[in-house]
Amino acid sequence: MSDKWIYWLEELGKEDNERVGRKCANLGEITKAGLPVPKGFCLSVGAYGMFMELTGAAEEIARLLETHKPAADDVNGIRTLSRAMRHAVESKPLPPEMADTVLSYYSQLCDQACTLDVAVSTRSAGAVSHPGQYETYLNVKGKDDLLDKVRKVWASTFNERSLAFCINKGLTLGNEPIGVAVLTMVQARSAGIAFSADPNTGDTSKIIIEANWGLGESVVSGELMPDRWVIDKETLEVRERTLGRKDKATVCLDCGIEDAEISPEKACSFCLSDEELKEIAKLANKLEAHFGLPQDIEWAVAEDKPFPNIVLLQTRAVVISKQAPVDQVLDLMVGLLAFK
Amino acid sequence: MLHDAYDLSFYEFDDEKDSKEYGVLLCDVVHGRPPMKPTYMGIGWYWYYHGVRYGAETLHLPTTHGWDSRFVQGYPYITAIRTTPEEAKEREPIFREKIKPFLENFDGVWDPLKAELLKMYKEAKDARGLKEWDDIKKLSNADLLSFFLDFAYIINRKEGEIHFIMLMASFYIVGLLQEMWRTIFEEEPSIDPNFHKLMSGFENQDMKMGRMMWELGRKAVELNLDDIFRNTEDDVLIDKLNTSEAGRTWNSLYHEFLLEHGWRSDRAHSYDSPVWLEKPSMGLSRIKLLMHAPLFKFDVERVRVIKDREETEKEVLARVPEVQRPAFSLLVKAAQKSGYWSEDHGYFCDCHVGAMGRWILQEFGRRFAQAGSIDDAEDVYFLHPNEIRKAAIPLGRINLRPYVERRKKVWEENMKIEPIPFFGDISQAQDILRSDPTLLVSTQVPVVRKELKADLYGAACAPGSFQGTARVIMSVDKISELKPGEILVAPGTSTAWMVVFGIIKGLVTDGGGALSHPVIMAREFGIPCVSGTVEATQKIKTGDKIWVDGNRGVVYIMDK
Repeated sequence: MSDKWIYWLEELGKEDNERVGRKCANLGEITKAGLPVPKGFCLSVGAYGMFMELTGAAEEIARLLETHKPAADDVNGIRTLSRAMRHAVESKPLPPEMADTVLSYYSQLCDQACTLDVAVSTRSAGAVSHPGQYETYLNVKGKDDLLDKVRKVWASTFNERSLAFCINKGLTLGNEPIGVAVLTMVQARSAGIAFSADPNTGDTSKIIIEANWGLGESVVSGELMPDRWVIDKETLEVRERTLGRKDKATVCLDCGIEDAEISPEKACSFCLSDEELKEIAKLANKLEAHFGLPQDIEWAVAEDKPFPNIVLLQTRAVVISKQAPVDQVLDLMVGLLAFK
Repeated sequence: MLHDAYDLSFYEFDDEKDSKEYGVLLCDVVHGRPPMKPTYMGIGWYWYYHGVRYGAETLHLPTTHGWDSRFVQGYPYITAIRTTPEEAKEREPIFREKIKPFLENFDGVWDPLKAELLKMYKEAKDARGLKEWDDIKKLSNADLLSFFLDFAYIINRKEGEIHFIMLMASFYIVGLLQEMWRTIFEEEPSIDPNFHKLMSGFENQDMKMGRMMWELGRKAVELNLDDIFRNTEDDVLIDKLNTSEAGRTWNSLYHEFLLEHGWRSDRAHSYDSPVWLEKPSMGLSRIKLLMHAPLFKFDVERVRVIKDREETEKEVLARVPEVQRPAFSLLVKAAQKSGYWSEDHGYFCDCHVGAMGRWILQEFGRRFAQAGSIDDAEDVYFLHPNEIRKAAIPLGRINLRPYVERRKKVWEENMKIEPIPFFGDISQAQDILRSDPTLLVSTQVPVVRKELKADLYGAACAPGSFQGTARVIMSVDKISELKPGEILVAPGTSTAWMVVFGIIKGLVTDGGGALSHPVIMAREFGIPCVSGTVEATQKIKTGDKIWVDGNRGVVYIMDK
């Protein structure tokens, strides 16, 4: 195992996309650029392959694929195959040398945080973005939990969603090795996403921020209506603010997370202050300037740190909706009229 | 206090309430100078005003219900009836649906409406057996009244509604392009030469008319009539031509042209100025100006203008962020159509309907005067439409003088004054204009840039730069004073001024925004133009050496 397969974020840059997956590469890039990112490390795409080969999981998967060929509409068939494939991955312990390396990186994170079992998140990182397709595990604590969740992230390339996706598109199953980002958890008071351009219209004069109390998962999952702001990109003034319907928030348990109800009082108040919005908008502008393209950002407000306590968790180029030009023009026309 | 508006209700300016309620009311210098007479206010203006509201409500414009209007000393003041935020939200989804066809296929909307208008004008004449101008004298009083009522309540209404649906869509489209222009390029589009290049090189109806008149002029040269043309005053030229075979040939060609295209006057909806078909000599000065050019100037310019436009289009699109490019390109196309329509509609909307009004009202004036109801046929323009209706049959029973005299006296006083440019808080003008960009048709706010140290700043312009001698011409009947190569300085130019574009080298106007006639025509003819200066005709004197800088939208008066 001479080839390097694990990296600190600051060792990476956007050129490492193929090596560690886009999420890790971009986080590395912005860490080097001096922007606020949690401490963390990444397992490369190669680490995934290595695990699969060394443990025999790859072979097992290949065998499963020979005997199971579910059709696109065969929900049960896909489910059975998915379970078997994920089991093939999750049931194999990491080869000792790999486990030792991962754990030595983890113990350095613990040392830096001055904690025994520092909480981390384990996130998938494909060379091509598949937002929401693979699993992310939050508030992972301790060595065993970490190794378990790393395997679970790997195994999630065989979840039902991604199998169904591949069958539908006629792609080879199980052919998408991914990287894994292990980041120190941010104790988020509020979190969410930010777009440095309107993803519906491509309007680059605005920054759009959506957020909820707690971790950003409730916003990313799209299951509730978050608070929403439209910020003028140039002046950083708030142009529009819309209170969301936030009856729940994602919060940390001792270990892991849950969706908890929030107090009516909190539900009825905006989860970010204007100063915080301005900070997020500034970061969005910096990211856009750095990458030269409008960015889609995940961020959190760290509860345990003083202002400006915004931490970036992910950034990638905004996918502008493939809207017909005439609808884009209509949006612009209406947008133009709306704020006058 | 309510200011009287020639006895017209709801038009009276309330100097306590109106400025407060509307923020600001701006003088419509384009349509309102000289001050309006009652027939203009009661018919042409009334249906304009209806059309604006009808257009705003039909398209569900989110920001406005249309214009409101008041009169002070005979001059019209306009403002927007703005919507509440709740109304705006409700109207928005419907607005999207309504405006979409204009973006996707502008001509697909306009062509059938244009055909409808032309059919309506034709049927109104055909149904009454009218062809020649004097045919109207044959109508009975009752038939003339029915024609008048059709004109005042059906034809004008229809024209107003079509006119303003089109105009509002056009101005919203161009307004959005201008706004995007400001955001993307950080340039003021109305004075950015690239913007103007992008909108140029489309052949409109005026251009076609101009070419026909140039051809008539060439025909006169071909028939060896140029000496007669050169040496005969316009008002006796037709008679003089009738004395020779070649002259009669030319006259009949000209008459054919006028029967089709002579439905126009210098001031469409005021009805008190003659129509070309009525007074054929009106077209002659324009033909004389064009006849000695071996080629029609626009045809020469056109190739260059189109090439320029296409190059500019590429250049501009390359500077638009990629994600916005398809939308921007679609918007540019729709805006080009809108600009072109904005020019075309004068012919199909205002000119025709205005000339028809002149036709009917002039005949009523003649009959009222003959029957002793008024002293002079021209006094008919001081009556309101309902008064004409009531006095029309049986004719001659009502003495209309008391109504006429009072209003005429006031109007003559109003003629002498300079209208106040606005009432209320002028700092609100920008908001009002943004809520309803169609207000820009009639008003303008110059873009003052002190660093240029110019004598006049325009609100819009056509590119190019020229230094030369100014000729100030206050009304279209004086355009024969122009010498080729001069710079025309005028209050504004309507389609009636079309012919001058073939001979002038520069243009400066008091009125006019980016879609106004002078700017569009100047662009097509490649003439530097600065429009919307407000006070050019006051500051510049005939004979002044001036520098028209259409690239920056400013005018310098040299050797003052």
